[in-house]
Amino acid sequence: MTTYIIRRILLLIPTLFGITLLTFLLIRLAPGNAALLKGGMGESGGRAMTAEVRAQTIKLYELDKPWYQAYATWVGRTLRLDLGESFVDHRPVAEKIRERLPLTLSLAGSALALSYLLAIPLGIIAALRRGRLVDRSISFAVFVLYSIPSFAAALFLIFYVASGDYLNLLPMYGANSIEAPEMRLLPWCWDRIAHMILPVTCLTYASLASISRYSRVSMLEALGQDFVRTARAKGLSNRLVVFRHALRNALIPIITIFALELPGIIAGAVIIESIFSLPGMGQLMFNSLDTKDTPVIMGITFVAAIVTLLSYLAADILYVVVDPRITFE
Amino acid sequence: MNELDESHQIYRESYSARIWHHFRRDPFARNGLRVVVVLFIIAALAPFLANSHALIRVDGGHTTFPVFASMEPIEWRFLLYVPLGLLIYAFRRPFFARTGIHLLLLLGVVGLTEVDLQLAHRINDPSNDRDRPAGFKLMAPIPYSPIESTPDQFSPPSRQHLCGTDETGRDIAARMLHGTRTSLSIGFIAQSIALLVGVTLGGLAGYYKGWLDIAIFRFIETVDCFPTLLLILAVIGLFPSQNNMFYIMAVIGLTSWTGLARLVRGEFLRLGAHSFPQAARALGASDYRIVVRHLLPNALGPILVSSTFGVASAILIESSLSFLGFGIQAPTPSWGDILNDAHRYIDFAWWLALFPATAILVTLMAYNFVGEGLRDAVDPRLKVK
Repeated sequence: MTTYIIRRILLLIPTLFGITLLTFLLIRLAPGNAALLKGGMGESGGRAMTAEVRAQTIKLYELDKPWYQAYATWVGRTLRLDLGESFVDHRPVAEKIRERLPLTLSLAGSALALSYLLAIPLGIIAALRRGRLVDRSISFAVFVLYSIPSFAAALFLIFYVASGDYLNLLPMYGANSIEAPEMRLLPWCWDRIAHMILPVTCLTYASLASISRYSRVSMLEALGQDFVRTARAKGLSNRLVVFRHALRNALIPIITIFALELPGIIAGAVIIESIFSLPGMGQLMFNSLDTKDTPVIMGITFVAAIVTLLSYLAADILYVVVDPRITFE
Repeated sequence: MNELDESHQIYRESYSARIWHHFRRDPFARNGLRVVVVLFIIAALAPFLANSHALIRVDGGHTTFPVFASMEPIEWRFLLYVPLGLLIYAFRRPFFARTGIHLLLLLGVVGLTEVDLQLAHRINDPSNDRDRPAGFKLMAPIPYSPIESTPDQFSPPSRQHLCGTDETGRDIAARMLHGTRTSLSIGFIAQSIALLVGVTLGGLAGYYKGWLDIAIFRFIETVDCFPTLLLILAVIGLFPSQNNMFYIMAVIGLTSWTGLARLVRGEFLRLGAHSFPQAARALGASDYRIVVRHLLPNALGPILVSSTFGVASAILIESSLSFLGFGIQAPTPSWGDILNDAHRYIDFAWWLALFPATAILVTLMAYNFVGEGLRDAVDPRLKVK
């Protein structure tokens, strides 16, 4: 087991190299660079840079070196756990990401947790009532939900629940009210939760649909197994059969699909953050793409890749933990 | 005809005929396919459904067809789909008998009509036939062009503007009808590109195995670790392009092939273990022949299923991008772009959100239902009844 995990972690390294190299090349190949952008419309208020300053800036940003050298420098720095400084405001990239990451993670995390909490019971009910009206209506509703783009749903939720024309229950945008910094802990938490309800709802339902479909299929498969028939034959109550015998086996594949859901949820979070003006990673990404802020883009890609790869790894390890029949020896 | 002959008849049904047979029995799938066909008809006929120019105009004994004069080359290509669709329908039996080659041919033809023509959108000339007097004129059901501004700004749905107008007075109904073209062609072409890349790379990996497989699979994993939308945003954000319809198709296609590549690789690995490719090789068939004639047709079912869902997801990605302002740029009509307007004027202009959102929902549902139906038809074991 330990050797398996170590081998898997070692296998992550080439993938990480691939991802960062791909991103780096993309930024390098793109027309325009941070120094030129800064010269045109940078902090100095739109004044054109003198040639001297531009040369200095290019040197400072290592834009004069060939890409492989610049990439090697980046790798070297990253190995020393230093993600560099932003080209735009010269703050450490790690700090900028640290400010933004919690919001995005809490958004994605709560959406994922919520969709699991809702999807598994839905899937079980549908599987137990297979073919009946309940099953068919759940399947259909889930299908409709799956086909609504999350940004369209966000628009309608804002329109009906938050805009004030119909209901004015929840705030329309932002992660906190303007008064938030003066609030005490409890009202602050409440304020944050109120701001998060709509974004989390929008993020939840798409993955809710796919997870509940998975859990229905997986439950049906478990219910069709021989050991379920044996359990029924020896006279166990229906409840015991369903929850202790079928459900436990059905959960194994469901638990592990969270890794597959994660990239989708992260991408969804970017859209949702932009609709609700949440200061998360998505917004940071948009801003840094605009300014070709290489260190920040590289940092975000690196962190996102690590999160995704680790969740794939966690899914594979969980597979062994929850199902003792599987071993990697 | 005796009983033996009849059973023989059943077994002579081709693979695709059997899939079609299963597919037709699913009401959701059937109706989903109908909706998709209707959408393609709307896309093909959009200039005749919404146009500020009259279809027929008779003035002083002079009969003209202003609608044809107003059409751009890009708009003609959709009309090609009508005879193409009719031809396929008329010759569906011989067509589907050798599905593999024919599907590729079809993709090629459609791809050429889409790519070869200039994808620029000229702003329509201000002349229109609504107010011009004539002895007789037949206007389109919606007498507005998709990029034509009228003086009524933000008018809610009314008799004159069925779906209302936006900030510059453009008729939403006309934009919706013409936006069907954008969505459908982007979905189709992006998925064709993904199909080409995915089948090629997945096929190479699954057929030749060894180090090529290892290298390609690493590459697939690497691309997979980017959330697709982020990667697309990065590419479009870093490489802005003015004339961007084909560009967006290409970017979506080139970033969403990994699922297909995995699928094809898996299928080829599975099929390669059978004895029929070996038999073909023993008979002296080339690698190309084994792949195209023996392996690909056997993997076609799952590929088709995955492609159908792929079209739906490409349409979703396009509308998300346009919604975020990175996709199709105004004035080219796109459902996502109307929703972008809706976001800005969310506090009163509900009609800007309702109609395009419904259109996207219906299109995605139709494609997803077709995909589900195909999946059940391709592999009845998976059917969860």
